[in-house]
Amino acid sequence: MLRYVVRRICVAAGLVFVVATLVFLAIHLIPGDPAELLLSQGGVAPDPATVAELREKLGLDAPLLDQYVNYLAALLHGNLGSSLIDDHLVAAEIALRLPRTLELIIAAAVLAILFGLPGGTLAALHVGSPGDRLASAAAGISLSIPVFVVGTVAILLFAQKLRWVPAGGYVPFERDALGHLLVLAMPAGSIALGLAAIIFRMTRTSVLEVATRDYVRAARARGIAPVRIVLNHVLRNALLPVITVLALHLGSLLGGTVLVEYVFNWPGLSGYLVRAVELRDYPEVTGIVLVISILFVLLNLAVDLTYAVLDPRVRHA
Amino acid sequence: MFARARRGLLVPGMEVGAIIAIALAVPLLPLPDPTAMDVAARLSPPSALHLLGQDEYGRDVLSRILWGARTSLFVASLAAAAAGLAGTLLGLLGGYFRGLVELVTLRFAEIILCFPPLLLALLVVTLMGPGAATLVVALVFLYAPGFARVCFAETLAVRELDFVTAQEALGARANRILGRTILPNVAPTLLVQFSLTVAAALVLESGLSFLGLGVVPPAPSWGLMIRGARSTMEQAPWLLLWPCLALSGTVIALNVLCDRLRDVFDPHAGRVGTGWLSKRAPAQAEATAQAAGKPSLLRVDGLTIEYGAVRLVRDVSLRIAPGETVAVVGESGSGKTLTALALLGLLPSSVRLCAGRLVFTDRDGCMRDLTCLAEAGLRKLRGSEIGMVFQDPTASLNPVHRVGNQVAETIRAHNSLSRSAAARRAIALLREVGLPDAQKRARSFPHELSGGQRQRALIAAAIANEPRLLIADEPTTALDVTIQAQILDLLTALKTRSRRLGMLFVTHNLAVVAEIADRVCVMYAGEIVEEGPAREVLYQPRHPYTAALIASVPEGGAGRLAAIPGVVPLPSALPSGCAFAPRCRHAGPQCTAAAPPLATIATGRTSRCIKWREIS
Repeated sequence: MLRYVVRRICVAAGLVFVVATLVFLAIHLIPGDPAELLLSQGGVAPDPATVAELREKLGLDAPLLDQYVNYLAALLHGNLGSSLIDDHLVAAEIALRLPRTLELIIAAAVLAILFGLPGGTLAALHVGSPGDRLASAAAGISLSIPVFVVGTVAILLFAQKLRWVPAGGYVPFERDALGHLLVLAMPAGSIALGLAAIIFRMTRTSVLEVATRDYVRAARARGIAPVRIVLNHVLRNALLPVITVLALHLGSLLGGTVLVEYVFNWPGLSGYLVRAVELRDYPEVTGIVLVISILFVLLNLAVDLTYAVLDPRVRHA
Repeated sequence: MFARARRGLLVPGMEVGAIIAIALAVPLLPLPDPTAMDVAARLSPPSALHLLGQDEYGRDVLSRILWGARTSLFVASLAAAAAGLAGTLLGLLGGYFRGLVELVTLRFAEIILCFPPLLLALLVVTLMGPGAATLVVALVFLYAPGFARVCFAETLAVRELDFVTAQEALGARANRILGRTILPNVAPTLLVQFSLTVAAALVLESGLSFLGLGVVPPAPSWGLMIRGARSTMEQAPWLLLWPCLALSGTVIALNVLCDRLRDVFDPHAGRVGTGWLSKRAPAQAEATAQAAGKPSLLRVDGLTIEYGAVRLVRDVSLRIAPGETVAVVGESGSGKTLTALALLGLLPSSVRLCAGRLVFTDRDGCMRDLTCLAEAGLRKLRGSEIGMVFQDPTASLNPVHRVGNQVAETIRAHNSLSRSAAARRAIALLREVGLPDAQKRARSFPHELSGGQRQRALIAAAIANEPRLLIADEPTTALDVTIQAQILDLLTALKTRSRRLGMLFVTHNLAVVAEIADRVCVMYAGEIVEEGPAREVLYQPRHPYTAALIASVPEGGAGRLAAIPGVVPLPSALPSGCAFAPRCRHAGPQCTAAAPPLATIATGRTSRCIKWREIS
């Protein structure tokens, strides 16, 4: 078990290094000079002197290898550079906004699991029943509606017509706990709707599949109680693929909250990224992409370790 | 099943077809210019001239929706097609040539798949600036790896198939094999992947446009329309509704089409294993009666099992006395395993027990018809009165639970015993079935045991509650020959230890029968063809099928093996008259005239052959 954990951690560290290198290459090797691109907005050719000045500021005039070494060294110190627009430290801004995005994702995931997992299990156990058909159809629909459509319609309905919750914004938890949860409800709910549908479908399929396995029949042949068969034999094995799919989607949410944060004006990491993209603020973009990718790698590490806990066969692989 | 899945394609297929047709026909329709502004009439509600109203610049909403469909679908399908082409090529090459090619194509694809998709798209937009062309590039970049991976996996699977190897052996060129042989085989999967990708690309395109990073205004796009309508949500909520409906409706249609396509290409998708959980109790009242006459442990009368209209098991009757071992012998497909499963009410939900009585005498001497028992009643008997050992010990143990726990679980299912007491009992049982170092083995997971050890553990679980009847369904088939003998010895030892234990031993191996059985039932094509004491049946068979089976057993010193010509007939296409007649060398015209009855030829011996006197 320990050897497995150590190996997974080494692989994860290697991946972080690869990601950092790729982000560096994406900026430096793709045709076009970032400094020139940055200054040529509006279709006007930039002044060469200004370009040179910016190149020096960005460190783009040094040899590529030197830039790479400097970049990695700065990374090791947790230094992601500073914004081109107003010189604030990128790392500090990320540290401020990242928890808000994570809160959104975790809240959405908890909601989605709460509905999707029991729902999918029940639907599989009563496969073909009216309840199963209804829930499956509902899942198919909520899976298909883009999250920004859900969010926009939710604002129209719950904030404008019914006036239950504010249309968006952010209230710090320390200042107003209830207000915080109220503004969290709609964005988290919008993400949760699609995610719950995914978990529902995956759980349903997986439970149906595992229920056909020989060991389930063998457990029945031993007279084990149905509840115990479902919980201990079917679900325990059916959860493995569900966890994989959930992790994949949580990972894509790390960058995918962009739309929801934009719709609800949630001051998270993704909104920061969109602004950085719009302004072509390279240090900000690379910093955010890097942080999200590292989180993604860590998430996969967590999944691998969860797998090892749930499935004894993995520990020896 | 297949035809039904295909019919399911019709409605979503027509919906998607209609959407595509509209998008293609837009330039021909008499629509106002989607970019023509009329600021005076901004936010007008629907009217005869503007069916869906006018937007914040007074542009016609219907026209913008339809032109938007064109833009969105064009970008999405172009991207999906390009991604499909690139990905398929990468996957095919990687999967066929492996080695360095695989490293370059597949590892690269996997690294891209490591990034959250929207994040990657934003990165591409940063580097290239917004616009429809950027969108297509970003989407291709995003979705090609998915195709590559799917195609790679499929290619690997197909590549191993015999006909590809055969083509290679015949000297076909790689491009011919790839294009003519492998591609058609991976095409269904790719088609599903393509429609999935179009849906995903549509969502991503509209999402980026919604953020203002996709399609550039004033070109119409659903994402842009939703973005625009947000600011006037209060005054004109319908402006928000139309593009939302159009976008969601299209994605739903595409996703449903995808699901249906998958149903068509994956025939296993419909398999259901949970039917028993919602099964209702049989309508009849439970039949219980006191034992009359000589008590048998189990009496099967006229058991008939159907799959649809096809009878898989026909009119099977047998009895087992306490302490007696009855072997059921027959080739694969003779219905012997179904018979065994029917005893415990464990038939798969696709087949149906349609006639017959299964009378079991329980510990209290009460005779109960198992076919009349509800699931809960059967559960009380399973594992306590009747134990079962299955063919494949590897598949029959739950991989995530320790072996000892699976035995202890069986004990606790029928007794109120503390967890630790059950664990101790489980270890004792594992020791009893000859598992070395039982204390430690009880803490092992199934994958840490050998096949023989797994079967021993399953036998321990089956006898944990001292059953009166043990059903063993080919318990040695999946094991090595040397281990087979050990497991047989174990089962024989169990019999001698408990003189009252009746056993139903299902096998296709006559050598095993000679060793363990008191009586033998020979099954062929779903019915019993001969029954009698084991020694008599094996030494003096009275049915040509039994005789042929015996002649086909390899024995030391025997000359040639006599294979039985032909194959077991399909249950859906049984020959008229005697089912064995087409393969029988004794068959005459009277054999195919009428189905022969099971005739009693001596006390305790029956045969379904009308010429039984001629056979010896």
